[in-house]
Amino acid sequence: MSTPPLLELHDVTVAYHGRPVLWHVDLAVTEPCLYGIIGPNGAGKSTLVKSALGIVPLSDGWVRFFGEPLDRVRGRVGYVPQRESVDWDFPVRAIDVVLMGTYHRLGWLRRVGREERRLAESCLERVGMADFATRQIGRLSGGQQQRVFLARALAQQADIYFLDEPLAGVDAQSQQQIFEVLSSLRDEGKLVLIVHHDLRTAASWFDRVALVDMRLVAAGPTDEVLSRENLARTYSGHLEVLDELGRAVEAGRRTP
Amino acid sequence: MSLLHAAAASLGISSNTLVVTLAMAAVGMAAGVVGCFSVLRRRALVGDAAAHATLPGVAAAFLLTGSRSLPVLLAGGAVSAVISLGLLVLLRRFTRTREDAATAIVIGVSFGVGVALISGLVARGVPGSGGLERFLLGSTASLSASEAVLLVLASLVATGLVIAFAKEAIVVSFDPGFAAAAGWPVWWIDFALVAITAVMVVVGLPAAGAVLVTALVVIPPVAARQWTDRVGVMLCLAGVFGLVAALAGVVVSAVVPGLATGPMVVLAAAAVFAVSLVCAPKRGLLAMAMRPKPSIMMPPEGPRERSRS
Amino acid sequence: MNLLRGGIDFLTASGGMHGWAMATAAVVSAAAAVVGSLLVVRRMSLIGDAISHAVLPGIVVGVLLGGRPGGPLATAGAVAAAMLTVWLAELLRVKGRLSEDAAAGVVFTTLFAGGVALLSAAASRVDADPGCVLYGMLELVPFDVVEVAGIELPRAFLGGVVVLAGILGTLWMTWRQQLATAFDADAAAVVGLPARAITNGLLCATAIVTVASFEAVGAVIVVAMLVVPAATAELLVSTLPRLIMVAVGLAVAAACSGYAVAWQAETNAAGMIASLLGVAYVVAVVVAPEGMLARAVARVRLSWRVVCEDVLAEAWRAEEAGSVAVAAPRGGMAGPLASWWLTRRGRLLSNRQLTPAGREEAEMVVRSHRLWETWLGRHVRLPVDHLHPPAEWIEHYLGAEMRQRLEADMAVSPTGPVEADPHGSLIPPER
Repeated sequence: MSTPPLLELHDVTVAYHGRPVLWHVDLAVTEPCLYGIIGPNGAGKSTLVKSALGIVPLSDGWVRFFGEPLDRVRGRVGYVPQRESVDWDFPVRAIDVVLMGTYHRLGWLRRVGREERRLAESCLERVGMADFATRQIGRLSGGQQQRVFLARALAQQADIYFLDEPLAGVDAQSQQQIFEVLSSLRDEGKLVLIVHHDLRTAASWFDRVALVDMRLVAAGPTDEVLSRENLARTYSGHLEVLDELGRAVEAGRRTP
Repeated sequence: MSLLHAAAASLGISSNTLVVTLAMAAVGMAAGVVGCFSVLRRRALVGDAAAHATLPGVAAAFLLTGSRSLPVLLAGGAVSAVISLGLLVLLRRFTRTREDAATAIVIGVSFGVGVALISGLVARGVPGSGGLERFLLGSTASLSASEAVLLVLASLVATGLVIAFAKEAIVVSFDPGFAAAAGWPVWWIDFALVAITAVMVVVGLPAAGAVLVTALVVIPPVAARQWTDRVGVMLCLAGVFGLVAALAGVVVSAVVPGLATGPMVVLAAAAVFAVSLVCAPKRGLLAMAMRPKPSIMMPPEGPRERSRS
Repeated sequence: MNLLRGGIDFLTASGGMHGWAMATAAVVSAAAAVVGSLLVVRRMSLIGDAISHAVLPGIVVGVLLGGRPGGPLATAGAVAAAMLTVWLAELLRVKGRLSEDAAAGVVFTTLFAGGVALLSAAASRVDADPGCVLYGMLELVPFDVVEVAGIELPRAFLGGVVVLAGILGTLWMTWRQQLATAFDADAAAVVGLPARAITNGLLCATAIVTVASFEAVGAVIVVAMLVVPAATAELLVSTLPRLIMVAVGLAVAAACSGYAVAWQAETNAAGMIASLLGVAYVVAVVVAPEGMLARAVARVRLSWRVVCEDVLAEAWRAEEAGSVAVAAPRGGMAGPLASWWLTRRGRLLSNRQLTPAGREEAEMVVRSHRLWETWLGRHVRLPVDHLHPPAEWIEHYLGAEMRQRLEADMAVSPTGPVEADPHGSLIPPER
């Protein structure tokens, strides 16, 4: 019996308020790599990640990590959410944010100890933010904030990492630094999935790519997938059908 | 025990009064600590809905049991507060009514129901019903020492829970998406935080009354935030400020006849906040005014405060 | 007839005391409903809540300066307090970096507490007790009269009428601006409309309505009168003019019946009015066009349709496969029940075989299913054995026009016109 895929999505359908926004996604990743999830805005890339992680419920289908449901392998999956919904005025410093990555391993009631602090400091070091450990997060630049959140994910010491638009609104130097950290993760044998907004850089950065536009258009090695035909199918038409159908499902009636 | 009597005698008050006053201090402290999470989650007015909603529960408890004992009445208040919070959730999920309107509906209607019940009881001359009116604006005059001890216990339990589970509460308040992905039961932790806030609101009723108790849960945390960038320090400071405000308010209203405690407690808290707003280092108005005018204060992609809606 | 008689007796008893009280309540709640409609639609309900609490110190100061609780001095004080509230909350938000809800919470509780403290301190000079502040004394309103053109009218009623007239008049004059800013204040400002002024006007109107309602219902319950009628109306109608009219109607009805019920039950009128408004809201949630009842009914009808269509489709597939014996009915009650219903409607014969009408309907279901499988196969990356489950539930949502579109969409793709689904089964043509 061969080893199960690192990540497997089967017939994943996700609905918001009864309206399907992601249809029948089927995907399997078997090897550690830098895996890009790209597609138009609002087309379900973040939804795909959130549904895989259980943040948003699945309407249909299932997701397996190393052949198991997520609840059994939580400690092996790390997550860097989008920066948009963060409350920058929250009274936490960079080091406090990174320490949050160790909470799950501590479990209920246990307090953060020296070992966790050392881990957090080394993660900050790895992303080049060791000097900013005691800065409140609202006082950091966009790129610095993103690196802190990456450090938090590193502190989770996971085997699979999901990052949601980690490079949006980040200065070039931070982008480079983040990319280097992610590459080194891949070289260590981790699977790194990245929701990415920019088509042009996708070609140079990712080993494999999935094109998502309310459904999975294509997935596989980057140069194969990013063919003109696939891009045309992603960034154009066919969506009015899904849109209208989604509305009909939400209203509980037939389309005209 | 004799220590208590001795202390009370030296202050020239009865030991009963001393116990009650100390209890109010404990309540203020606990409300300040617990309230930090509502404020951090930007849900300050949900506490206000719960607070107004305690009134029908208190009246119903009296109506059903005829008992004037504080634990019974507060239990009734807690039940109706929790029901109203549940109603808020239901309204948000199943109707088109928006959150702000739903909160205002719960505030106005539950208060109206409470007032209708209480005034009906008073009008019929039901013995003891007159005492229900102290829940409107707060009054410690009729608190007995044993009731005060109950309030202290509840306050200590609530504070203890929040501090024991502080890290879970913080990660859920700061980044619920990340917390959910990491496997924390975000919905349950959120629910627990709201429930504890509702309990504290109920416990604070004798101190400040239904209309104003929300100030106890909102103002000390907000004041504490001005002084620190660390959540742990904020929790401690909020407790201290709450304690001071409750104490000051209760003492002043006891000394000046005819003043309900609620308004005094709130004004004391507001005074603490005003001082914090002006004098706090780094965030205070004075500190910001005295800072050298901006050269390049913010890094290139300066942090932008986005308000969560 | 007796009811009418009883009603008129009630209204005119004791010099029309009840009548006047009801009239005051009606007028005041109508004004509140109008202002509240705009607050609710603009998602400013909590500002309305804050202002209705915070005007207390303004009223008290006005009264201390020699005015009456409902008079012009108090009104001016209330408006000043309202503006102060908004300004302070904004200041705290910007300079103090408080969140919006915390800023509002700090300001209005502090102002309200200040008002109550002032009231207590000046208790000797002002004839009001804190309880009255919170829930008013509607029953006493008819006894404070003023003479106008030879008729004795309660002061509060007169004040209420003036306020209502003023609000309706202003609304009528600024209608278009109100509509634009209600819909999108920022866009309105960009286009050059005085959005700021309109918003400030709305806040002033809230303060004025609170003052007018003060003697009748007090500070906290006015929140219910501002928000609940409008929120109820929002569930029932969809345009702003109708919303305002329904809200006013509800408010007046609740005011009159609330007063009457409170009198009979010997309880506080304001509390009863708020309670009845709450009941009206709950009823609307249940019976509104998109309310809980309607949605539950729609869900049941959908499930029923799905089961019936599944039975028909199964029968058709059995026919296609050539088996005379129709497949065993589905488990549970739904299957046999559906078969019975379909037989009654002439879609099935008693031996569970299809009638011509039934065959037509079944064919369209199977057509939907197979078309969707084909479309999925072409445009979504799915292996062939994963196509059936999605089509199983989508088939119930495809209408004739959509099916044409799907077919047309696939006819122009490189693999040519489509006749069979990816499993090789024929797709029935459109009827």
